[in-house]
Amino acid sequence: MRKPSVGRKIRIQYVTLVAPGMLVFTVGLIVPMLLGLRYSLTSWNGFTRDLPWVGFGNYVKILHDPYALDAWWFTIKFTFWNTVVQNLFALAFAVVLDSELKARKVYRTIVFVPCLVSPVIVGFVWLRMFSDVLPAINSALGTNINFLLFGSARTVLSGLLVANNWQWIGYWMIIYLAALQSIPRELYEAAHVDGASWLRRFFGITIPMLAPAFTICVVGITIGSLKVYELIVSSTGGGPGRASTSIVYQIYNTAISGRQYGYGSALSMTLVVVLLIVAVVQASMLRRREVQL
Amino acid sequence: MKNARVLGFALALALLVTPAFLFAGGQGEKAAGPVTLKVLWGQSTTDAGSEKLIDAALAAKYPNIKVDWDIGDWGKTFQPKMQQYMQSGLPDVMIGKGQDVPTWGSQSVLADLTGKPYLSNMLPAAVQAGSMKGKVYGVVFNALYQGVYYNRKLFKDNGISIPTTQAQLAQVIAKFKSLGITPFASHYVDTWSIGNQTMQFAINGVFNTTPDWGDQFRANKVNFADSPAWKAVFGYDKLIYDNTWTQETFSLEMTQCDARVVQGKAAMDVSGSWSIQNFLAVDPNADFGIFPFPNETGNSKLIFEPNITIMVSAKTQNMDAVDKLISVITGDKDLALKIYNQTKTASMLKGVTPTFTNPSQSDIDVYASKGMIVDAGTGNNQLVWGGFQDENAKDIAAWLQGQETLGQALAAADSRRAASRP
Amino acid sequence: MPGDRVLGRPGRIIGQGVSQLAVLIVAAVFVLPLLIVVGYSFKTTRELYLGSPLSIPQSLNWSNYANALYRLNIGTSFLNTLFYTAVSVLVLAVFAGAASWAIARNRGKFFKFSYIYFIIGILIPYQALFLPIYIVGYSLRLTNTAYGVILMYVATGMSFGVFLMTSFMSTVPVELEEAARVDGCSLYRIFFSIVIPLLRPAMATLIIMESFLIWNDYLMASLYVSTGRLRTLTVAIQSLFSQQTNDYTSATAAIVISVLPIATLFVALQRYFIKGMTVGALKG
Repeated sequence: MRKPSVGRKIRIQYVTLVAPGMLVFTVGLIVPMLLGLRYSLTSWNGFTRDLPWVGFGNYVKILHDPYALDAWWFTIKFTFWNTVVQNLFALAFAVVLDSELKARKVYRTIVFVPCLVSPVIVGFVWLRMFSDVLPAINSALGTNINFLLFGSARTVLSGLLVANNWQWIGYWMIIYLAALQSIPRELYEAAHVDGASWLRRFFGITIPMLAPAFTICVVGITIGSLKVYELIVSSTGGGPGRASTSIVYQIYNTAISGRQYGYGSALSMTLVVVLLIVAVVQASMLRRREVQL
Repeated sequence: MKNARVLGFALALALLVTPAFLFAGGQGEKAAGPVTLKVLWGQSTTDAGSEKLIDAALAAKYPNIKVDWDIGDWGKTFQPKMQQYMQSGLPDVMIGKGQDVPTWGSQSVLADLTGKPYLSNMLPAAVQAGSMKGKVYGVVFNALYQGVYYNRKLFKDNGISIPTTQAQLAQVIAKFKSLGITPFASHYVDTWSIGNQTMQFAINGVFNTTPDWGDQFRANKVNFADSPAWKAVFGYDKLIYDNTWTQETFSLEMTQCDARVVQGKAAMDVSGSWSIQNFLAVDPNADFGIFPFPNETGNSKLIFEPNITIMVSAKTQNMDAVDKLISVITGDKDLALKIYNQTKTASMLKGVTPTFTNPSQSDIDVYASKGMIVDAGTGNNQLVWGGFQDENAKDIAAWLQGQETLGQALAAADSRRAASRP
Repeated sequence: MPGDRVLGRPGRIIGQGVSQLAVLIVAAVFVLPLLIVVGYSFKTTRELYLGSPLSIPQSLNWSNYANALYRLNIGTSFLNTLFYTAVSVLVLAVFAGAASWAIARNRGKFFKFSYIYFIIGILIPYQALFLPIYIVGYSLRLTNTAYGVILMYVATGMSFGVFLMTSFMSTVPVELEEAARVDGCSLYRIFFSIVIPLLRPAMATLIIMESFLIWNDYLMASLYVSTGRLRTLTVAIQSLFSQQTNDYTSATAAIVISVLPIATLFVALQRYFIKGMTVGALKG
């Protein structure tokens, strides 16, 4: 046991190790957020000096604002489908790449590289893909598939899902791959000796051992999808009409073109709250399952 | 040993960080000699690269004046940057579009340029376009023409004449359809193009008879929902939508759209001078003309839009250097010519005529001689673009896609009444 | 046996024939958009307008690259981006590592609170807070400076950094530290000479991931350092993508130019990256 005075001195030194990071973090992120909170209680237009106080008026307005509610609905749909699809494919690809496939590393790199590119570029590329490149395949092969996914309100969500998944599947795949490769072979061999079929091995060993990776991927994909913005800016611009306007896109639109920075800040606060709820709920639910498994 | 390693690490970190302090600073240095002006420029692609030409001309004449450029796309970054700078202090010079003059002039942040010597380099129309309430807030450098660009060969070969009324337009559309040619080219994937078209129609359909319609609207005297003129305007958007490549227009982007006009796949294209670069890139010998989109009464005018507009911050500390910069931009005829030829736009300077081949110039000259030219400001200065026109365009898009009724789209415009103020 | 770790016999089949083809198709679909971008970057504008998007460029049209390099002011913007990225990730690695180690080695309330405090940062959508971020930066005279934007990058990276590093702390044996303390080493020396070297895989992962984010960042760079001398590559590229862009050839060349460095970095450091992600996935 340490003497108390030595302990305190060391404790203070530990605090100094935390201090620089905490200072920078607070000034750079927390203070702006508090400022944003303050603006959300005003009807500031974003450029003049006066900050007329409206209290919770902005938040009430959100409930009556069809554009904000539509943006939320779109974001929720996007997040839900994204989480399901990306997780499934990332896991599937990881399983495939975990086998003794030839040129595995090449495939791994190919699937991963898209996430190194900025989402702005991804949006730009897929806009071209859907409007020019893929329809050209129709002329080349004589088929008549409808590739114009960004052209109609009904299909624009699918188009964005394709673009977003193309970018990110590789990233989560690497996590699943790493998790898969860390499962000790002995477990499988023991199960094999016990006469378990591959299906039972998969669900009995693989899935439970993947639980932590699963948590990370689900929480990560969900939070990232809720914040989708740059992809939309450079591809559909929120359109056609407002069909693909996400909540962050609507926040920018309101705050800048709409010159309602105060109201836009209130919208961002709703996003913070939702992110918080989602993260906490998901993390605790999944952790419990992890422990059970 | 260990001490040395820690020391070495700290030294390396310090060395790495030191250059940061060399990069730092630059905020408001007011040395007597060299001056660095901060300039924000919201460019359209046609202008991109012009800043280098200006740098060269400035260096030749006033080597001790340098420009720190903050450049971005007008549509996406000008407004956010202005918002940002309003918090900290505007740059010395801001280059936007003609419609920015009323927006920012009314905020009392622009310097009054009345009486500046370089104004005598400008055409009177330019000075007028940059003025608000009798004061000159912006120096208009060039102008765009907006209207219906048409493939002259298609019209000539098929003996079709330019329509001046809606009835004639309907006949032209029918004729082209029977020939298997798409009457109108469009790229509705760009919501801004829907907004632009709509305003073109409104200038000749609403603001020609009621120049203060916007003011009346904000005073609650008129509405979109019960305005036959606006219904007609929205109806023209639908007319185009029904007579273009309907399945593709919400996916097709502008370069492909313009290319198809030159290739003879479409006859007409409601657009502006920004398309000229595309037409000529596809075929340097393309023959195209321009005519104003017919309105109900048959007296449409060709639309002219003040484009690159130079504004000065009322609080600039470097007015002398700013004056010199603007005098170079407006006084150096070689520089101006280069920029006009690159951007394919119309000159607003006295005695400077662009020398690029513009097949539509002959049409423009005809309309000009008849006095059939109208300033886009008649519309843009009544109903602001950002937050109003662009939002209306989204509702029109939703209507065309069948997600809203016309009534709902018009009502949505009414709901944004307060936001329409420039 | 090969291929049967997870799926048994079906796993073995995966390693052969039919499924090889399926994998090939999937990979082709993934790589197609990138190939198209590279293809566009070598075409002339006429080829772009008139030819099929799937066609191979008629010749290697390096003039697009030359034009892109000129328009991007490649010397300044590339060096700026490199500088900001390098310094930011190094500072972040040290700050996050220090904070995480302190948090991992202490049970007190302050440290538990710090952990949660940092993690909450992941939830903050800083894109929506661009005006307050600018206002705060301006009030502290951080705007238009290199150190300002670097500080912002460190601030936004702390959350993920602390998250990653704390999960790595179990790989740093406490015994070594104890031994060093008995020898009389100060806390700081223990951190810099013992802990940091042991944290290398974690630092590598953090550095790589943050490098991607910072390299591609648009918002912070445009808020803090958007003027000529301090401009970054990503902000410069945006200027090639106006609403009325007609010169995709140079724009795509610019994209290729900006992606090459980070792609190369990834390929070179794949191993560390994957090892780093491994530990995060094994928390259970």
